[in-house]
Amino acid sequence: MAAAESSPLTTHVLNTGDGVPAARMALSLHRLDSQLMIWNMLSVGTTNKDGRCAGLVSGGALSPGMYKLRFETGSYWESLGQTSFYPYVEVVFTISAQEQSFHLPLLMTRFSYSTYRGS
Amino acid sequence: MQQLKAHILPGNKTTAMAGPASPLTTHVLNIAMGVPGSNMAINLYRQDPSTNTWSLITTGTTNADGRCPGLITKETFTSGVYRLRFETAQYWESMGETCFYPYVEIAFTINDPGQKYHVPLLLSRFSYSTYRGS
Repeated sequence: MAAAESSPLTTHVLNTGDGVPAARMALSLHRLDSQLMIWNMLSVGTTNKDGRCAGLVSGGALSPGMYKLRFETGSYWESLGQTSFYPYVEVVFTISAQEQSFHLPLLMTRFSYSTYRGS
Repeated sequence: MQQLKAHILPGNKTTAMAGPASPLTTHVLNIAMGVPGSNMAINLYRQDPSTNTWSLITTGTTNADGRCPGLITKETFTSGVYRLRFETAQYWESMGETCFYPYVEIAFTINDPGQKYHVPLLLSRFSYSTYRGS
């Protein structure tokens, strides 16, 4: 099994307005330092032509805590010569001790978006 | 009086209250249970474009219909980037359940404050969606 498939965190960004994967979208993963109450950036990436981004997490399972996946949706739409209602999308989620893998897709148009915990 | 105060003390936060209809509205729906998301704490912030810092504009709680009237007044609704924060985990906890999302923040850009903007949140314990409505 490829290393990317066993990554504890995967995402998939879909431009449902145009019916295509959202390619070349910048995104970043952050973890909350609960003592200092600040976000630490763990990794950055860019979606490939399938709207996916391998290698967001290296070195095994994510430790329990609060995480944030930030999608640079505004820049993405701008690169297509379009405006969007949302300058960016941030999805904040909690990982508890028992859980191992997380799929966080983002389905979006210029004026809407949705996300869910998938598999 | 509220409007005078807003001029003297810019960024003074207010508690959502009834009055002339707010140009910005929200509606929280618990789509897992098929009910409005009532008694959910929400906050509205606006970003200062010169410093990129956020100010709290309004604090409120959704009513029995999942709505929160009085989020902002026409007078204080200027162009800019806003953020609505919904205390989703707290909401689910009050019903004895956990939620994957400790809170949900939706940042959006207002280019024409003369229009009406409806920013709903459709929510379950493991998913949410939003759209620009009317």
